[in-house]
Amino acid sequence: MSDSSPSFLERHQFLIYRLFSLAGLIPIGAFVAVHLLTNASILAGDDGRTFQSRVDMIHSLGPLLVPIEWAFIFLPLLFHAAIGFVIIANGMPNVGSYSYVGNVRYTLQRATGMIAFAFIVWHIVQLHWLGKPFGGGQFDPHRAASTAAEALQPTLVAIFYAIGVLATVFHFSNGLWTLGITWGLWTSPAAMRRANVISIVIGVGLATAGLGALAGMRSIDVPRAREAETWAEKQKHALSGPGAAVAPVPIPNAH
Amino acid sequence: MIKAMEAVADLVTAGADDAAHGGSSRVIRVRVLRQDVAGGESYFERFEVPYEPNMNVISVLQKIAARARSQDGRRVAPVAWDCSCLEEVCGSCTMLINGRTRMACSALVDSLVSTDGDEIELRPMSKFPVVRDLVVDRRRVFRGLEKVKAWVPVEGSYDLGPGPRISPEDQEDAYPLTECMSCGCCLEACPQYMKIETVRRDDESESDFEKRRKAAFDSGFVGAHAISQAMLFNSHPTGRMIADERLEALTAKGGIQMCGNAQNCVAVCPKHIPLTRSIARAGRAATVWAIKRLFDR
Repeated sequence: MSDSSPSFLERHQFLIYRLFSLAGLIPIGAFVAVHLLTNASILAGDDGRTFQSRVDMIHSLGPLLVPIEWAFIFLPLLFHAAIGFVIIANGMPNVGSYSYVGNVRYTLQRATGMIAFAFIVWHIVQLHWLGKPFGGGQFDPHRAASTAAEALQPTLVAIFYAIGVLATVFHFSNGLWTLGITWGLWTSPAAMRRANVISIVIGVGLATAGLGALAGMRSIDVPRAREAETWAEKQKHALSGPGAAVAPVPIPNAH
Repeated sequence: MIKAMEAVADLVTAGADDAAHGGSSRVIRVRVLRQDVAGGESYFERFEVPYEPNMNVISVLQKIAARARSQDGRRVAPVAWDCSCLEEVCGSCTMLINGRTRMACSALVDSLVSTDGDEIELRPMSKFPVVRDLVVDRRRVFRGLEKVKAWVPVEGSYDLGPGPRISPEDQEDAYPLTECMSCGCCLEACPQYMKIETVRRDDESESDFEKRRKAAFDSGFVGAHAISQAMLFNSHPTGRMIADERLEALTAKGGIQMCGNAQNCVAVCPKHIPLTRSIARAGRAATVWAIKRLFDR
């Protein structure tokens, strides 16, 4: 092995590993945080209207959405996952002999990384339109709450989501802490402890948002959400059609 | 010759047995992972030594060597091990004692027995090639120090005079890092530090082999000890003169980026050196250095 000239990965190891570390925070981590908080808006208790308006906001990007998704989510994620697997292959966890908290976290970081990757691939196939050729793509951005709720109804799916969300959130918040050491943001043991508290708070917050969104989507009234979505769609067509502003469609089930 | 040696061994054994019968009959059982030659098969062998208060693992190994008999009474070659200072400052007696890396000289039998039971397991370090029994080839530890230039460059043909003064605060900050004895515990416990064993080929000259071995060492993780020493000498007013060369080495293949933040190094360090602080400082220095190199050239 040492006889052959070093590979591209080896020659630029420092740069690639630093980009790997950065990608975990920006854009992937930032996206995960925004994504989970957006989903948590399902808990507003208005049959998914707030959630639908957030989804509409994202989809107002129109044709720009696809290149943005690829540039800021899919490609960084694939890069982070590919380098992640290289890192996992080049390490040898030893919690059996050294069961320190830091070492357990090292091992969990690798385990949750693999779980999160498997979960995210499955999640994209299940809900994103890219999954349509594979029998997935169940999410309809015009009917956000009802289609998400329907996809999450099977108990097994919900369990897989809970595991996937928790693994992803652990991986992100623990990764935030190690990123600070890697880049030299916190250097002393005391600073590392303080940063750890912040990482835990962020992790618990995101886990609550994620699991809350999951529970919220499973418990909304699907027929009512569908009604609200139908009304909103009619409203949009009415607003864009001729004489729109004159006769807005009445709100159904208004209390 | 061999007859004479056997006779001596018998005498020593008899003496040891007498001691065992004279004092308490308590014995310490020891399980040693042995290996006869480099690259050979390894196997466990059991030994028994009469208990004495205040023994350490080195004195247990001395008793095993004196008896040179396994638990079942077979005459066996004495177990080979490395040691020198016997006071935890030379770093040469590192081994796996009950599965964990530590210095044999400061591993006291009484405390081992009270926590892990009265059988002691001894294995050679797993991250370095075994030379024989508990003796390993730790050349890579020193190659790591060489790679990061862990020294103050003062060689010259004339007296350079006294160096700049170091403030007491800086001295206090640096002192713990100077306690490193290159024992290799941090490397043994590191999940990112993998064993590298190169074997000389038949058609290879000694210097070619040396070159190939160095390249193999340099492709793996340099290790916490070398990162910490690089930070020590980069904080020294004279050592700082080649700070960029150290950072170049730390960001080369197998450099600081290989750290996985498991933080086992600092947990197992017998000298309690703040290794993770050194690693984080090296990370910060590497960040600044990489940005500078990108924009200042």
